[in-house]
Order: sequence, then C-alpha cells, then structure tokens
Amino acid sequence: MTDSEQRRGGKLGVGERRSVVAGLGVLAWIVGLLWIFPVAWTVLTSFKTEEDASAQTFHQGLGFGRYSDISHATAGTLSLQTAFMNSLVVVVVSTLFVLALAIPAAYALAIRPIHKWRDVLFFFISTKFLPIVASIFPIYVYAQKWNLLGTRSVLVILYIAINLPLAVWMMRSFFMEVPRELIEAAEIDGTNLFNQLRSVILPIVAPGIAATALLCVIFAWNEYFYALQLNFANGSTMPQWVITNVSTRGNFLAKLSAASVIACLPVVLAGWAAQKRMIRGLSMGALK
Amino acid sequence: MHGRRIGSVRSRRTLVAILLIAATVIAASFAGAASGRSSAKTISVAVVANGQMQDIARLTPSLFTKKSGIKVKYTILDEGKLRQVTTRDVGSGGKAFDAVMIGPYEAPQFGTAGLLKDLAPLAKADKTYNYNDLIPAVRNALSAKGHMYAAPFYGESSFLMYRKDILAKNGVKMPLHPTWQQVAAAARKIKTSSMAGICLRGKPGWGDLGAAFTTVLNTFGGTWWSAKPNGQPDKAQVDQPAFKTALDFYASLVQDAGEKDAANSSYNECLTQYQASKVAMWYDATVAAGFLEASDSPVKGKNGFAFAPVNKTKSSGWLWTWALAIPKSSKNPSDAWKYIAWATGPQYLKAAGSRVKGGWAAIPPGTRFSTYRIPQYKKAAKAFAGITLAAMKAAPITNPGTTKRPGLPGVQYVGIPQFQDVGNRCTQLFSAVIAGSMKSSAAISQCQQIASQAIK
Amino acid sequence: MNATAADVALPKGKAGDPFSSAWRRRLPLLPALLYLVAITQLPFVVSIYYSFTNLKDKTQSLIPEPTKFVGIDNYRQIFSDSFFRQAVWTSVKMTVLAVLLSLIIGTLFAILLDRKFLGQGVIRTLLITPFLLMPVVAALIWKQQMFSSLFGVLNKVLGFLGFNSIAFISDHPTGSIVTVLVWQWTPFMMLIILAGLQSQPSDVLEAANVDGASALGIFRQLTLPHLRRYLELGALLGSIYIVQAFDAIDVMTGGGPGSTNVPYYVYQESIGGGFRYGAASAYAIVVVIFAIIIATFALRVLSSLFRDEERA
Repeated sequence: MTDSEQRRGGKLGVGERRSVVAGLGVLAWIVGLLWIFPVAWTVLTSFKTEEDASAQTFHQGLGFGRYSDISHATAGTLSLQTAFMNSLVVVVVSTLFVLALAIPAAYALAIRPIHKWRDVLFFFISTKFLPIVASIFPIYVYAQKWNLLGTRSVLVILYIAINLPLAVWMMRSFFMEVPRELIEAAEIDGTNLFNQLRSVILPIVAPGIAATALLCVIFAWNEYFYALQLNFANGSTMPQWVITNVSTRGNFLAKLSAASVIACLPVVLAGWAAQKRMIRGLSMGALK
Repeated sequence: MHGRRIGSVRSRRTLVAILLIAATVIAASFAGAASGRSSAKTISVAVVANGQMQDIARLTPSLFTKKSGIKVKYTILDEGKLRQVTTRDVGSGGKAFDAVMIGPYEAPQFGTAGLLKDLAPLAKADKTYNYNDLIPAVRNALSAKGHMYAAPFYGESSFLMYRKDILAKNGVKMPLHPTWQQVAAAARKIKTSSMAGICLRGKPGWGDLGAAFTTVLNTFGGTWWSAKPNGQPDKAQVDQPAFKTALDFYASLVQDAGEKDAANSSYNECLTQYQASKVAMWYDATVAAGFLEASDSPVKGKNGFAFAPVNKTKSSGWLWTWALAIPKSSKNPSDAWKYIAWATGPQYLKAAGSRVKGGWAAIPPGTRFSTYRIPQYKKAAKAFAGITLAAMKAAPITNPGTTKRPGLPGVQYVGIPQFQDVGNRCTQLFSAVIAGSMKSSAAISQCQQIASQAIK
Repeated sequence: MNATAADVALPKGKAGDPFSSAWRRRLPLLPALLYLVAITQLPFVVSIYYSFTNLKDKTQSLIPEPTKFVGIDNYRQIFSDSFFRQAVWTSVKMTVLAVLLSLIIGTLFAILLDRKFLGQGVIRTLLITPFLLMPVVAALIWKQQMFSSLFGVLNKVLGFLGFNSIAFISDHPTGSIVTVLVWQWTPFMMLIILAGLQSQPSDVLEAANVDGASALGIFRQLTLPHLRRYLELGALLGSIYIVQAFDAIDVMTGGGPGSTNVPYYVYQESIGGGFRYGAASAYAIVVVIFAIIIATFALRVLSSLFRDEERA
C-alpha cells in the first residue's frame, strides 16, 4: 500500500474501536442510500408502464418497454441517435482542444513560469465569474451572422471557453508536482518543450490529465443553456433530447425516466470508473 | 534518458498517426455539423408541443415527404420556449426556420412589422387549398390589412367541459350559457377529496394562466390597460377594483375547488387530470373536447359542454389558432409553402382522421367549414362540434370587456408587443397568489409597476 | 522535500526581444490566453456597445424603429428597478445557502466515509452520482418524482403518514431550487474534503490519540485547520458554478416568485422574453462589474491558497 493509502481509510480511523467503525459504516450505508434514492427511484420508474409510473404503483410489472419507446423517434423529429452523436462529437472535440490548449498554458505557468503567472491565472478564473447569460445575445448575433446556429461547431467553440479556465488551473497544479530535478536535467540535455512534455512531464501528470478531461467531459455533456439557445432540430444535444420527452399528451413520467437514465448513463459510468482518479486529481492537483 | 533516441522515430510516427486520425475525426465531425440547415429539399419547421402537432409530425414522412420529396425537420418545443425561439429568430432575420408556428397574437404584429411572408396570394392561387373554406373569424385573426400572414392549423375558442354523470349525481344542472357564479357554486358543491370540482389553468405564462385569467378579467369588467383615443395603451389598469375582484375570484375558486398543484397546471396537465377523472369540470380550449371524446379516451361519452362562463358581458370565450407562417428571411419559401399548404389544407384533415391515435374526433378542428361536413367527423364530434363553431363565432374579439382597451382585436391577450413580457411576469405573480404563497394585493401592486413601466 | 517547479527563478529577459527568454516562456500560454480573450471578452465588448443603444427585437415594434444611441439611459433605469434588486438578493440567498449547506453536508459525508468499512467504495460511488447527472435531469427528477403533488414520492409518503400534501415548488420555489443544488453539489464538496482528510499525515493524529485527545478534540485542533484550504477551495469552486445556476430555475419554476436569480433575470430581459437587447446588455454589464468585484475578493482567497502552497 502506498503511503497515502496507508494514512487514511486503509485501516481503522485513528482511535476508533471496531464497533464504532461498524456502526458508522451502517450509518454511511443509510445515508448513502437515502441520498441516492431519487436516482434509484427514477431508474425504477423507467421500467414501469406509464399508468404505474403516475400512480406510483407496481401493478403492471417491469420491463424495457419505455426504452424502446424513446429509441424510436419519428423521422424529422430529434432522435436519440442524432442527439447522442451530436453530444459525443461536441464533447470529445471540445475536450481534446481544451487539453491541447491547457497543457502548454500550464507549462508556461508552472514549469517555466512567466513573470506574471499569478495575474494570468487570476484572469483565467475570473472569466468563470462572467455570467454566460450576459454575453448570449452578442454570441447569438454573430453565430447567426456566420451561419453557426444549429451546428455542432458553435457548441464546440463555446464549450472550449467554458472548460479552459478550470483545465488550466488544474493542469498547472499537476505540473507543479513535477520534480524540479527532472526538468533541470531535461533542460541541461537541451530537449525542447515538446519532448520535455512527452518524456518527462506527461507520464507524471497523466492521472491529472485524466481527471481534468473527466471534469471537462462532465461539464460539456451536461451543458444546457448554450445548447438550448443556439441549437435546434438536428443539431440538438442530449440535454435537449431529454426535454423533448416531457410530453404533453398523457403521462410521460416513465418515458422521461428512461430518457434521463440513457442521457446520464455515459457520464455516470465514466465518473464511476474514474472516481479514484478524480479524488487523486483533486487532492494532488488543486492543493498539495 | 538514453532510450529517448532509440524510441524517438517510432514514437514520432505514432504521434503523426494519432494526429492524422484526430484530424480526420475532427474534419468529419465538422463536415457533418451543418445539420439543421435547409438544403433544397429539406425545410426546418418549429411547432408547439401539442397533440395535433405531434400527430402531423408523425404522419409527415408518409403523407407529405413521400409525395413531394421535401423532408421536414421538426423542432418541437413547449409554448413558452417556442415563442422565445421563434420571436427571436423572426425578429432578428434569422434563417433558422422556414416555417414557424405562431398565433393571432404574433401574426398581425410580425406581419405589420414586415417580418412574415404574405400568404394570401399563394393561398388564393391554389385551388386545392380552397382559401374561402377557411373560417373567416380565424382567417381574419391572422391577417392585417388584407394580408394573411399565417395559415391556420387548428382553431379554438374556450368553453366549459364537465362530467355529465358527476353533475347529475350531485343534482347540479349546468345551463348552456352559465355565469361564473353558477360555475363556482357548482364546483364547490361537487368537489370531493379524490376529485376536484374544476380544473383552471394556474401555470405562469401569458398563454397559459394569462389566457384563462384574462377572459375572466374581461367579463368581470377589468382590463390590463386603458386606451388612448388613437388605440395606443394609455395607463395600466391592474390596480383597479375590477382587476382585484377577478383575481381574487379566480384564485379562491382554484384554492377551494380546483385541481392539485394548480400553479403547475396548464392545458396539458388539466387534460391528463380530467381524463384520469381527477377533476369534474374544466374551463379551457375547445380543442380539448376532441381528446376527451377521442376513441381512446377514458371519459368518452361522459362529457357535457357549455359556453364560456360570463359575468358582466354576453360572451367571454377566447379565439386562438395555431398557424404556420413563413419568415421573410427563410431560404426555402416555396418549399415551405408547399408544406404549409399540405399541413393546413383540407386533404390532411381527411387523411388524418383514420390515422391519428384518437381517431376522427382528434383531428385539428376549427379552421375550415369542410371539416364539419366530413361524415366521420360529424359523427365522432357530435357532442362538441356545433358548440365549438358557435363559440368561435361568438368570441368577442373586437369588444371583449366592458371598457375601451388597446391591442384589439383579441380576447385573451392584448395585441401589443409589450404584453408578452408583462403577461409572463405578471402571471408569475398571479400563479403565486393561486398557490397561496403571495397576497393578491402584493401581486397586483407589483404587476401594476411592471405594466406601467412597459408602456413608458 | 523535493524542490518543485515553483522554486524556479523567474527570468529577466529583455522586454521586446522576440527571442528573449521571457517571450519564449509566454509562447505556450498564448493559444489558451488568446482563445479565451476572444471568446469571453469580445462578446462583452459588443455588449458594452449595445448597452448604450435602445436595441430591441424587431418584433417589439410595429413600425421598424431604428436603433439609436441612448447614452446611459439603460443604466439609469437599472437603479430604479426593484425587480433587479430582488434578483440580486435572490442570487445572494441561493448561492450562500447552497454553498454553505453542501459544504457542511459534504464535510459530514467525508468524515463518515473516511474509514474502511464494508462497501466503502460502493457507497462513495453512489454518493458521487448526483454530481454527474445533467442539471436539467436532476431538476426534472426532483420536480416530477419527488416534489410533484400528483406523482411525487414525498407527498405520497406524507399521505401515508397522514399529512396533507405540500406543493413544494409552488410554495417554496427558492427552497426547492436550493435543495436540488445542494443535492448535486454535496458530492463534489465531499470529494474535495475527503481528499483533504486523506492527505492528513496519520502519524500526527496517532500521536495526538496516544496523548489522550478525544476524537472531537483531534478534529477541532488538528483536522479542521488542515481542512481550511480544502474548504476554501470547495467554497470557491462551488460558488463559481452555483451563482450561475440556470437550468434548475428554468425547468422547475420558470423564474416564479422570488426564485429568479440574476442570470435568469438578465436572460428574461434579453432573449428570454423581454427582447430588450439594449437594456439587457446594460444589466449584463452591471452584473459583470459586480462579478469582477466578487472575483477579486474570491481570488484573494485563492492567493492565500497559493501562498500556503509556496510555503509548503
């Protein structure tokens, strides 16, 4: 076990008796299950029929009927497949660009810092304080002028800007972890920036990159405002597709639950798989 | 460190390969990013998320695209979002949509402002479209100065729907032209713990709570603004006694005998509740009757219909139509017209009857006289077709209340551009009054402020 | 301890010489910096321009009104707008409540999870799920499944227990929104605090325990100070995102009484229904100025984090 794992969580908490730990374990289970109840209930509802869903009963059993309902859309209306592809492309492309921009920027702020690195970092974070609703109208006007409305490109462009500050900040912290000797050794060797990155830095910060990428993916996949305002019809993304399942005719709760499950599943699975990385990234990255 | 040299050629190649793949993926994705824009044989249409629209969206590929070769990409939104999107797009000369769904509130305004294509010449020139078959009240509501700016998809007024069996069980008789006091008394009498007396809209929005409430406001002698001699809005009238009386009446009726979660209920929610026998009466759009009497409706055959309740006026029902318009900036106006001619023409109505989920009773009503001559429709809609037409004819669009007001014609809205925002913000407050979390006097004073500021 | 990159001496390159060390250091930063400036600052500049005009959507006037300069009229109007003040107050309320609650609950969860028990990983996995959901989905889940008077689970339970159903969203719009925000952001705070707890050197804690200190005492004297930086980080990051909350309001209340925060209010003034683009731009600029002030304050917190970093 590494030192950090040995510190906490790997054995009994400091000074705690077995029974206390067991009791707290039970408490943790109760708390966890209660907190997750809304999600669990939604997943359960997604397998019900509509009548059962609106009455909160179980009379008609469970099945995958709603999932197949929402997977078949009428030609001409937004389909699950289209929305999924749109979201996938937008998220992957924007995240790649974010990493491509953030890694060199972090280098310039951490490894060989520029003179005013603090100011630059502050600037990056301060852009997150600008409410995006404040600039939506000029963005709309120019997106319209340049025929970007309803395309995936406009979302990619905006999502890069949304995620870049956080990515730069996190990547910089990870870069700070790179031992000075390795960098100095590489500099003495005369390696250029690119090779330094490749052979020395990236292997060390790889988990940090993964954590950053995961956060970018989460925020981009779940983004609703820009998608709603600038995209429509066949350019729409998953959040918009979920909303179309808030039907107007009759009950829709089961279908909406199924749609919610499908829409959130990719990011949830990714988050589950990478949660250790996220914790390590957050602890290693943002603070020492 | 010394392994660097050995692996550098291989890793450089890998790097190049990765970059090439990434570039291809990116290029391909951007190439495909032009979706949503119209090409020669694809048009983009924005419609509201109501049952009849979803029906036609489903039938478009088989009934329209097959014959005309024009693909239709629908953007289906709820009323509030639809209005935001279409108003913004049409108003900024956007090319996002080739056809948009609007109503008699928007059509004359947008048309006069020069933002919509005049459809009258196209309609008149098309023999199969049968321009004179359109119900005049509906056609005129969408026109200004002789130009028809939108083609009606369905038309409606408002009236009272009620469960004949429940009322009979309670010994309540509903006259054909009831007053609001009669309806309120009946609702309070027949309500039980499991079935509310009446469903009234409570959801914020000028087209939701605003529509129902404004008809009540009119017939109680109130109005939103007074009018100058030239017809322009003069002063906000929200702080007048008649307004408060109407608001208090509406709110207390909903609180006493109205549906659960009224502040979230509009047309769709009330429809669901009525069909689930959770409410015994419902004041709302005549188009709902089609769904109540549909072949698959659980309450089919149990419904009675009465004209919109009145107080100080002779009639109070509204007039509304969801209609399709072509923004002037559309890139495919001729294809858009082909689509609109099909969607609002008599052939679709005949074809839809046997194909939509609710059967003949659920086809789009209220736009053409010919609809009411189709034998299957006459049979399926027997209970409500006559009173629907009569209600639409009786809608007092030129004189909805007891005083002069701006923004005429129009019953459940004020036909000025500022009303949309004022109506939305004020109905937020009124919805809170209905929910019981705000006093009506507080809501009224805030709304008066909003209404006054808007016309300055 | 290893010296890290932070110890490198800053260069003294000749300013202006393109091949000077200083410019070579700046180069890798430029793509990201220029991109962000272009995408975030340029619309801002355009907004400034619009804010001095009476630009409206063309549908808002029957006779085409030419856009003209109106000087600072739009700004003057803001100060007499009581609804804007309401929105500011709502923003403050919502953000403070949501951040504080999620921080406190998140810390409690982190403490709870900071030991080995059966299924620790599973519970932690379950607990972070709300953070991974789409905000619109989270809002819809709470609106339709939990809070609804018709289908809602909470009201069904209340009914079983013999109580009347509560119209959560209609009666407590701000509270409902805060609930959803806290539900989603607590896991995020929990992760940060958990990282803080797990970075504590256990030898110090063991020493204190051996010395006879109580669990509460250890927590107060040793753990809490160590956690301070993590708490500040959580509060900062959480505030940045929560103050911009939009999806939940749009889906749950539509801005209903008292639940309109500043972003939603500006949205309503502009493309959300008011279509008064000139006036809305003025609001946007005012909001941005406030945001800069708050950012400066918040970044002082950041700089103390940096100072600690450098010291360590």
